[in-house]
Amino acid sequence: MRFTLISAKKDLTRLGRDPLALLTALGIPLVLIALITLVFGGGGSATPQGKLLFADEDQSFVSGAIRGAFGNEPVSKMIAVESVGREEGLRRMDRGEASALLIVPRGFQNAYFRNQPIQLQLIENPAQRILPKMIEETLSIVVDGGFYLQKLAPVPLSSFAGAPPPSDEGAAFLGIRFNRLARDLRKYLNPLLIDLKFNVAAENPQDRNVAALFLPAMLFMSLLFLGNAHALDIWKEQAWGTMRRLATTPVSLAALLGGRLISLVVVLSGVALVGVAGMRWSAGVPVASVGLAAVWLVLSGAAFYLLLVSIAVRSSSQRTANVTGNLVVFPLALIGGCFFPFEMMPDWMASIGRLTPNGWAITQFKALVAGSAGARDFFVGAAYIAAAGAILFVLALRGIRKLV
Amino acid sequence: MIEIEELRKSYGEAIAVDGITLAARAGEIFGLLGPNGAGKTTTVGCICGLLTPSAGRVKVGGHDVVRDGAAARAQLGVVPQELALYDDLSARENLAYWGGAQGLRNPKLRERIQQVLGLAGLEDRAREPVKRFSGGMKRRLNFACGILHSPKVLLLDEPTVGVDPQSRVRLLELVRAEARAGTCVLYTTHYMEEAETLCDRLAIMDHGKIIAAGTLADLRSLLAERDLLRLTGVFAPAAARAAIEGIDSVEILHCDGSMLSMSLPEASAKLPAIFTALAQAGAEVRGTTLTQPSLESLFIKLTGKELRE
Repeated sequence: MRFTLISAKKDLTRLGRDPLALLTALGIPLVLIALITLVFGGGGSATPQGKLLFADEDQSFVSGAIRGAFGNEPVSKMIAVESVGREEGLRRMDRGEASALLIVPRGFQNAYFRNQPIQLQLIENPAQRILPKMIEETLSIVVDGGFYLQKLAPVPLSSFAGAPPPSDEGAAFLGIRFNRLARDLRKYLNPLLIDLKFNVAAENPQDRNVAALFLPAMLFMSLLFLGNAHALDIWKEQAWGTMRRLATTPVSLAALLGGRLISLVVVLSGVALVGVAGMRWSAGVPVASVGLAAVWLVLSGAAFYLLLVSIAVRSSSQRTANVTGNLVVFPLALIGGCFFPFEMMPDWMASIGRLTPNGWAITQFKALVAGSAGARDFFVGAAYIAAAGAILFVLALRGIRKLV
Repeated sequence: MIEIEELRKSYGEAIAVDGITLAARAGEIFGLLGPNGAGKTTTVGCICGLLTPSAGRVKVGGHDVVRDGAAARAQLGVVPQELALYDDLSARENLAYWGGAQGLRNPKLRERIQQVLGLAGLEDRAREPVKRFSGGMKRRLNFACGILHSPKVLLLDEPTVGVDPQSRVRLLELVRAEARAGTCVLYTTHYMEEAETLCDRLAIMDHGKIIAAGTLADLRSLLAERDLLRLTGVFAPAAARAAIEGIDSVEILHCDGSMLSMSLPEASAKLPAIFTALAQAGAEVRGTTLTQPSLESLFIKLTGKELRE
């Protein structure tokens, strides 16, 4: 154990001699947090809100229904709808004052009821990426819904075209028919009720903001990159001959690996504290337990390191180890929720992503942050990590011995 | 101090070390010579526990390197051919790390660091990162790391490769000082003159076997004061061999299409006869090297090739 600490001190001293590398490691989450805070303004209500300019030239029931679609949560939290005239809307879009302009042309309702071709015009702001796409997506759902309603409606919608408003009796009759249709179709249209169990209990939509969405992903991305860089560094020991020389001394190579792990844990602790503190106090994400969340990050980072070093030492050369490491890290980061949060992924991809080591760790981390997981969940998860870490340590050590 | 009995190391069908036996005593500098692939590095690897012998036994300071590896390695100081140092650490930090690996603790560690820094002539550069050192200084520090814990057995693998003459003299003097202090030194080198001036006993390895061993005097006696003549050019091996064999006292060591080497007494007197015989055999001689009796000529006599081949 004494030499393990000597080895850790050596690695930390080496890290200290290369302050740029150390600052990069410590600065990744800090920079990411700062950028997100700058972009979205920080604070707990930092959900980005786009503006949809709505030019309703039809002023009909259907055009009102389209506008109403943007008034439902969760879309309404992210997109504010403002009525404008066509010309004013176009002028404001030219000035980049909104995410998109939707023009509903005169005669839209009649054309829709008669199943005649007609165009909705959506003009998107090219300077924005996500919000116009969300508007486009919402609109396409509304249009698809309208199409299916025409196909499935219990009475021909064309009968409404140009007709006066229905009487109270007629409206009640139609209401009952549509209600029955909805009830019959519920089992087909609402299968998500069955899938609710796949939703992450940790996520409390009330507390979620963009920082809460992106920061855990970015912190885990930092852990993966840091672990990979530290794992590849073992090849320097091989190239310098220091690992081989150490094998001729009475100490075990386990002390070398242990020392490297401890030095990484020290660095990870810095990253975790800066990252979680940044989440809490800079980006305004409510963190239920800063301590547990930070320790979880450190444990996860240490396990990632052991996974990556056990892969790196099985490569045939430093270059191969580099390529292999990236081939492992990037797909894991992409699908495991480190580049894009699971909430932004298609369900099937998110389901797969949560099964990856980092995906599982991110999910648990979010639960700790949100407070839906407590100390008991933490210790159970930590026990899993410790068990996996022990196996990976042995695998890495075997690889190191072969490398010598 | 080092006892090797019937050591054999093979990798599948390939035999790297083929049943060698040798012993090196305390206070002795034992030279191990051989061309690349002779089995020196494998032998050294087995002694310091990096490789597990396929058969045979290796003991260091009375401890079996396989069954009692940690105790055997505790007796051992290794100075590898590569500079096994951390470039971004200072000389003192490197020494503290390697001292720690050998179990040294303060204040003994501090005291030994100071001593070996003095021996290596690095006291005034002790706090500088090693990357600022010259090649010679790095070699001296590499050596200092190996002797820091005052090992009973010191393995030196080509410790003077790429070293300036001044540093080489200093390093060789350090090796002698270690031996005088009672350390058993096993020294592998390509430099024949180093082996000649430094080693008390030598073993020459080729194809995994020891082909000659003894003191320098023992080995020189094998040459019987004969010169070594090496000719390069274009030869028909059978014809050249037949032509040379007709000349009195000439022993052909090696003959192929481009090189002919032979051992003979008073070679300068026999040169005209040799050239005439070869010309008659249709050979074209382009280069001539005449070597007086030495370890190098012995090596060529025994292996048919130069040490660096």
